[in-house]
Order: sequence, then C-alpha cells, then structure tokens
Amino acid sequence: MNKVRLKINGVRHQFIVEPDRILLDLLRDDLRLTGAKQSCDRKGQCGACTVIVNEQAVRSCLQKVAKLDGAEVITVEGLGTPDNPHLIQEAYVLSGAIQCGFCTPGLIMATKALLDRNPDPDDGEIKKALEHNLCRCTGYVKIIDAVKLAGRFIRGETTPDAIRPDPKGPKIGVSHPRPSAMLKACGLAEFSADIKLQNALEVAVTRSTEHHARIVSIDTLEAEKMPGVAGVMTAKDIKGTNRIKIIYGDQPILAEDKVYCLGDAVAIVAAHTKEQALAAAAAVKIVYDPLPVLKTPEEAMADGAIQLHAEWPNLCLKQPQIKGDAKKALAESAAVVEADFSTQINHQAPLEPEATVAYMEGEGEDAQLVVVGRSINIHLHMANLQEALGYENVRYEEAFSGGNFGQKLAMTSETISGAAALHFRRPVRYIPSLAESMLMTSKRHAFNMKVKLACGTDGKLTAFTIDFLVDKGAYHIIGVIIIKRVLWMLSGSYNIPNVDALARLVYTNNPAGGAARGAGPPQVTFALESAMDMLAEKIGMDPLEFRRINSLLPGQSVSTGMVYEQWPFPELCDAIKPTYDRAQKEAAAMKNGPVKRGVGLGTHAFGIGGPTDVGRVAVELDPDDGITILAAVADPGEGNDSMLVQIASHLSGIPMEKIRLVTRDTDRTTGMGPAAASRMTYMAGGSLVLAIEQLKQAMKEAGAETYEGLKKAGKSFHYIGSKIAEGKEAILDPETGQGPSFESRVHAIQMAEVEVNIDTGEVRVIRITTAVDPGTVINPHNLEGQLHGGMDQGVGYALREEYIHGRTKDWFTFKFPTMKTAFDMDVIINQTPRVKGPLGATGIGEMTMVCTAPAVINAIYDACGVRIYDLPATPDKVKAALAARK
Amino acid sequence: MNGSAAPEQKTGDLQQKLCVIAGREILIDNEGFLWRVEDWTEEVAEALASECGIDKLDDVQWTVVRFLRNYFSYHGRAPMNRDLKAGLGISLMDLEALFPGGIRRGARRVAGLPNPRSCT
Repeated sequence: MNKVRLKINGVRHQFIVEPDRILLDLLRDDLRLTGAKQSCDRKGQCGACTVIVNEQAVRSCLQKVAKLDGAEVITVEGLGTPDNPHLIQEAYVLSGAIQCGFCTPGLIMATKALLDRNPDPDDGEIKKALEHNLCRCTGYVKIIDAVKLAGRFIRGETTPDAIRPDPKGPKIGVSHPRPSAMLKACGLAEFSADIKLQNALEVAVTRSTEHHARIVSIDTLEAEKMPGVAGVMTAKDIKGTNRIKIIYGDQPILAEDKVYCLGDAVAIVAAHTKEQALAAAAAVKIVYDPLPVLKTPEEAMADGAIQLHAEWPNLCLKQPQIKGDAKKALAESAAVVEADFSTQINHQAPLEPEATVAYMEGEGEDAQLVVVGRSINIHLHMANLQEALGYENVRYEEAFSGGNFGQKLAMTSETISGAAALHFRRPVRYIPSLAESMLMTSKRHAFNMKVKLACGTDGKLTAFTIDFLVDKGAYHIIGVIIIKRVLWMLSGSYNIPNVDALARLVYTNNPAGGAARGAGPPQVTFALESAMDMLAEKIGMDPLEFRRINSLLPGQSVSTGMVYEQWPFPELCDAIKPTYDRAQKEAAAMKNGPVKRGVGLGTHAFGIGGPTDVGRVAVELDPDDGITILAAVADPGEGNDSMLVQIASHLSGIPMEKIRLVTRDTDRTTGMGPAAASRMTYMAGGSLVLAIEQLKQAMKEAGAETYEGLKKAGKSFHYIGSKIAEGKEAILDPETGQGPSFESRVHAIQMAEVEVNIDTGEVRVIRITTAVDPGTVINPHNLEGQLHGGMDQGVGYALREEYIHGRTKDWFTFKFPTMKTAFDMDVIINQTPRVKGPLGATGIGEMTMVCTAPAVINAIYDACGVRIYDLPATPDKVKAALAARK
Repeated sequence: MNGSAAPEQKTGDLQQKLCVIAGREILIDNEGFLWRVEDWTEEVAEALASECGIDKLDDVQWTVVRFLRNYFSYHGRAPMNRDLKAGLGISLMDLEALFPGGIRRGARRVAGLPNPRSCT
C-alpha cells in the first residue's frame, strides 16, 4: 500500500492505495465524482476521463495514484457549476458542442489545459491538444468552435452574455442552449454508471464462447462458492418468458438449450465487488455441443443448412417491390449499368458502454422493479421486461445516455440487471466493459446488392432493379422494419417509373442487426447513388445535372406508388452547384501527381413520419403558469429537449425557463415510441403542437390567461395531443411491395471532396458539403450538429469502420473517428416548410449520413478512376483496385 | 434442424392487417390489438369481446373497459395493475378472471388500448 497526498479541486486529501489503483477509479469510486467517464476499458483510447494533473491534461485511466503523491488534480467539477460556470463550460454550451455529453467533461479539461498555456490556439494546435479525446456525435466541428470561443472569452474579446441568444426573443430558428447542456458541461448529468446506488451488488455475465451450440450442461457450483458471491442465476431462474421480443420472441435473456451467437448471455453472477463477480462468472462451467455455424446468408439459405430457430426459417422474410415493368424498360433503355455492391456489419459506436442499474423500490408484493438504463423506447422496453421477467410492477427510467444512434432500440443490459435485481431482491449495477458491450449490442446489417439502373437517351431514368440479401444475424430485433424502410425509400430522390426489387432477410450466427442511424437506407443508397454516377458517366452527363433532371416532381410517385406533393430537391441541386463547380475546378488541378483529388455526390429523400405512426404528448399548465410536458421523448443527444422547449414556448408564449420536461420515466410519461427513425421532431413535436392548441383553446373558452383563471372556469389543466401519420395501414403488398410511404421527406445532396494517394491507397476527406432542406429549422446549432456528426459517421462507414464479432473489441480496432480524421464540413440550408410538419419541420438525425458513403466512393472514382463496390474502402482495397486497373 | 417440420415461409409484412370489426375496416396488429385507440367504439369492444369468448360485456367488464380507456386518454399510457386495483376497487385476481387473456391481453385488447409491446 502507498500513502498519497493529493489536492483535488482545491481540497487536500490523503489516500492509502494499492500500487495499481488508478486515478479514474479513485475519483469515481472514492470521491464519487462523475465528471470523468469510463468508455475504453481503461486503455487510454477515448479521453472521456481526462483531468488536469499538475497543469497537464492527462487520461486519468492511465494514471497510477501511487505515483501522484503531492499532485494537484482538477476535474470538471473543479471548474464551475451550473450556477457559476467556467468560461470554457459556457463556450461549449453556447457553441452547440454538447450533444450526448458523455465526452464533454474530458474535452473541457483538455481545452482548459490548452488555453491555460495558449489562449489563442489555431486549428492545428486545437486538434493536437484534443487528439486523445473521442466524440461520436459532433464530427468535432463545434468542439473546435467551442475552443475558439472559449479563447475569445478568456482573452476578453467577448462575453457569454454577448453571445447568448436572448431568451425573451424568437424561439424558432434560434440556437438557444440545450436545457441539459450545462449539466453535462459540469459533469453533473448522471449516466447509468454514475448513479449512486447504496448496497448494490455488482453483476457479471458468463457469455457464450461458441457461435452456435447446444448447451449440454451448466455447472454453477464452484462459482457460487467463490468469495463475495451472492448468487448465480441461469434461465431457469427467470419466471417470465425469458424472451426479448421487439417483434419476434427469438432472443432469450439467458440461453436455454442453445446459444446462437458468440457472446450470448448464459449465466448471471452477482457479487459484492465487480472483480469478485467477474471471477465467478469465469468459473461457471458450460459444456457445449457445437453446431454448424452459418457465417453468411448464402450459407444459411443453402440446401441442407441447419435451421437456427425452430419457429422461423433461416430465410425469415422475403418482400418484392414491383412498379411498372422493369424488365421491359431495361430491354428498351439506351443505357444500362449493372454492378454488385456490399456493405459491412458495423457498430453504432456510442461512447458509453451498456451500463444499467436496477433495484426494488418498496417492499413485498407491492415492490416495484426499477430499471435505469439507456433505452430510447422506455415504454416498449418496460412492457417487454414485464413479460420476459414475469413481473408486472416495473418502471423504466432513462438515464442520460452517452450516444445511441439507434442501438438502444434493442434491449441489452437492462434485461440482465432487471433479472438480477428481481431474482436476488437486491440493488444491482451492471457496468459491462466496452468489449462486452460490443458483444451484446445490435449492429448495422450487412447487405449484398445486385443492381441494374437504366436511362433513355435524354438521361431520364427508366428502370431500377435491385436484389438485396440482408444478414439478419442471430436475432430478428427489427428486421422486418429495416426491410420496410428500405423499400419505402428505395427510389431515393428520383422519379423511376419502373422498379423491380427483391428483399431477403436471412438469419445467420452473426451478431444481430438492429437499428443503426439510417436503418437500411444507407446500405441501398450506397448502391443506387454509385450506380447513378456509373450511368451518368456512361451517357456522358454531369453527375449533378443527371441527378437534377431525374428528381421526382410533385405529383409523381415513389417506388411504393405513393404520390408526393412536396419535393424540394431540384432546388438543392441548384443551391450546391456553385460549390460543386468550385470543387470540380480545384480537383481538376490535382489529377497529375500521386495524390489525386476527386469530387463525388450522393443524394437522398429520407422518410419522416412512417405510415400509421402515432405520437402522444401530454402538457399540463402549472400553478406558476409554466407548462410541464409529459412524454417519453428520449434524448440521447439529438436535441429533443430543445425541440420540445422551443416549440412549447413559441406556441404558448410562456418563457422557456418555465417549460418543464418529464421525459424519462414510464410512470409519468405518455408512450411516445422510440427516439429513432428521425421521428421525434415530427411525431412528438407534432403531438406537442396539438396538445398546446387544446390548452390554448381551453384558456380561450374560459377567457383565462393564467392557471388561476383556468381553475376558476373549472377547466382541465392537462391535455394530450396525438399526431397520427398518414396511411390507412403500413402494409406493403406482399406481391408488389406497393403501398403507403412516409408522410414527409427530408431532402439532401452531399458532396465529398477527397484526395487519393495512388501509391498507398489512402483516402483523405478534405471536405463534405451538405445541402439540405429539412423544412423549418427550430434550432440551427442542433441541426448543424446532427449534420456534422452524421457526415463524420458516414465517412467512417465509407472508409474505415467495420465490426468483426469477437475481434473488434475497442475503439482502436473499431477505427473510431478522431481529431486526426476530422475534415471540413459545410452546410447549405433551404427551408421549405412542410405542410404537415410541426411548424413546417421534419427530422434530420439519420438523413445526414445516408448520402455520405456514396458521395465519398464517387469522389474516389472521380479522383483516380477506380470504383469500390464493397465497403469500407480501405487503403488495401483502393490499392488493389488501382493495381487491377493497371 | 432441417428435416423437421419447417415453419411456413413468411413473406411480406406481418405486423399489421386490416380487419372488419363491427362492420368497420380497422387496422390491428398481429396479436389482435387495435393499432389506433381512436378506432375504438363500444361496438368494436363488444366485437372484440365476442372474439375472445365473451357473449356480451357485463356491467363490471364495462367498468373495467371504461376505466382503461379513461386512464389511457388522460395519461397516454396504460395503467399498471396497482392503478387498476386502486381505481376500480377490484382485486387483481378478480380482474384477471374477468377477461379471457386477463388484464394484459384481454381487458386491454377489448378496451382498444395498444399492444403492451407496441412501440407507442
């Protein structure tokens, strides 16, 4: 043991510690400081734990406390509080640099260390100083803005008050700070691992080491006898269905007679410390009888292939889509291109691991099981926990969530912590490692696509055929929804009179595909937009002009047959043209050396307001004439809290500080569906508009302007608005795939400028420009932040990221985007108010990455003449393609 | 395993279907719950009750159905069992016995509330 004296946030402490005690754990466990976060399994990869030690920014997960005797430590809690924030905290809030907020405290501390030694850093110095800090949400653009703004504050060039939008001014179209931003900037927002739970047991899970096997036996005896172990549970200890059932109940919480995928949960151990729980989990003995492993959809569909799930065939869904006569049109077209495309399995990569806690509130039969986690659909997950665990009295609370990107539409760790708290009747914490989180979470589906695209001599598209095979992985999760979303949006921005598509969804033993930003369209748009460039080249037409002349026009129908009356896409082509011309001119000057520059485009018309979608939002007028909004509108970083507050204040005239949000608790909120499918602004915002209209109507009828007036008139203070999206049903005809599509669309065209080193195959993105028409913009910073983060994720998807189950275990092996891979981003915004959108708005969260990968791939082709058909376009693939061309 | 009775090939969308209930075309999910609570009428309730083996809803059953609907229309979510017990003064055991399928899959379905596992 070592005696160590530290000054932490101005207070002197003395600790007696083991030699291997690290500073991060001391701060979090001994001092209960929650600002420094743990993401990368203490490998120093993410910077979320950054603090300042002796004036240097350090990753506290790499610091041995024993070596810090006499050191002065400052954490984010030592900088400021929401009531008295530091200028850097103000700068992050006012720049819109905070989305989920998980990385924010670490970034703020790295910024502090930089500005303390250099209050006027340039871009290069900022990137260098922050190179160890990862962020998945922002694409780093607004973080760099925040550092510069903080510098201006510190240098006395301006003040937060001079920058802050007037809270009494307009509410719509103004970047008012997010309601949760300062809490996150001060390290006080509680993520699941930050929750202080007295006398909690720590949980660990024994996971399958096999990809597909029968379980012959599970022996827990040795584990149960190990030090500190409170108990071990297996599937037989779960009293409910033991099934995670979003659509099909094909996924057990704990494996019963089989495991279907590497990492399936088999046993839960609860112990007094995490180390004890992990040791006991490793001591659970499982005997497996291995079964054939289906690695690809083709293997799974082959004659004689083993059937994974007894109740569902491996080919678990087949859906055609037929519009017109594509075969005839292909035969008669002036030009046809044909190619096969494929995309990889990918991880959504939220920084926060899959932490949850659970406990019993109350005693005896009336005790309520409370689960706190990262869900973006708390009512659905609560209902699923009720059935799966066989216990009705359940409450789900959403903690602050460190990024999501669709991942938590699926249930993961909450089933484990919920089952354990119920079984052991003890509070439990399940704080899995990043590597384990990767094993248990759903992924972006891999697609294989065979495509033909044709046009006439005038360049007008005539036919599109696509046969796509989707690797479902081991569990269905939302597979049918992925297929429907692809087909609803299949024809993208264009008028394509003849379409012939076939979607097939196939179980394999790979990790289960789930929701991932875009959820289907990014894969198919990569194929369609690559084919668009191929066809434009074949007929000798400029790619931008080719896209513009093929835009769908109001009154024409998409591939499902649905007719749209608003389609402001050609205007985006016009808006981006000057930038496109500039980029092409610059690229043309860089074609001769070993580093060649290229320009590429990608477009999409992303669906908003799925057919038959329903939203519900309640509002209550409070005694102080404020409004409380009660609705399960999860906000893992998109800015939904801003959206609710700004719309409510705008419509009611009530100051923003008196708009209160209750959004995270199933016992207090309306069911609002998932914070997925880019639907919250449209569906929750739309429902909120209707609720406030009812409240205002009631006040008008009562002749009241206050709570007291409404009370005297005997009127209710509580109103529910329910936005119901168009569509008699959301069913695609099983033979033709014809039917309704989304009520509205968000339109975009993206342009990538890249440089390709033809000696190494390395691709460097110089800039991505997004021209977007999202309808009315509610909060420009939030809109831009979503666009930036999506572009960054899209580039990662195009060039680097690939999830290989069991091998991708951390942020290095995942190739997480960093300050080093960051690039310039420009945004061009058109605002065409949507007829049915709340205040004319749509949604933006996913569209922003849908066009990015094809834009990058088309730019690579433009630069060096090789086309990559199989994502990601790694240097090896580009180099091989260049060699093959020679 | 192949060789065992293979389940029927599933094609198309299994999440929703349009059904004629009490003379009206209504959208339901694959477990028979109404997709839209707004499609519910008393006639629809009687038809759904009849489907699950209740000839005619009696007064007590109507009390439960109306409580469920009132609760949902106010809170935007279904009541927990404790809310039912407190609001109706009926024991859970008696409530479960009132509808085939119990509270969750019987009473809630007849009252036109969304499927407990639906997204909204």
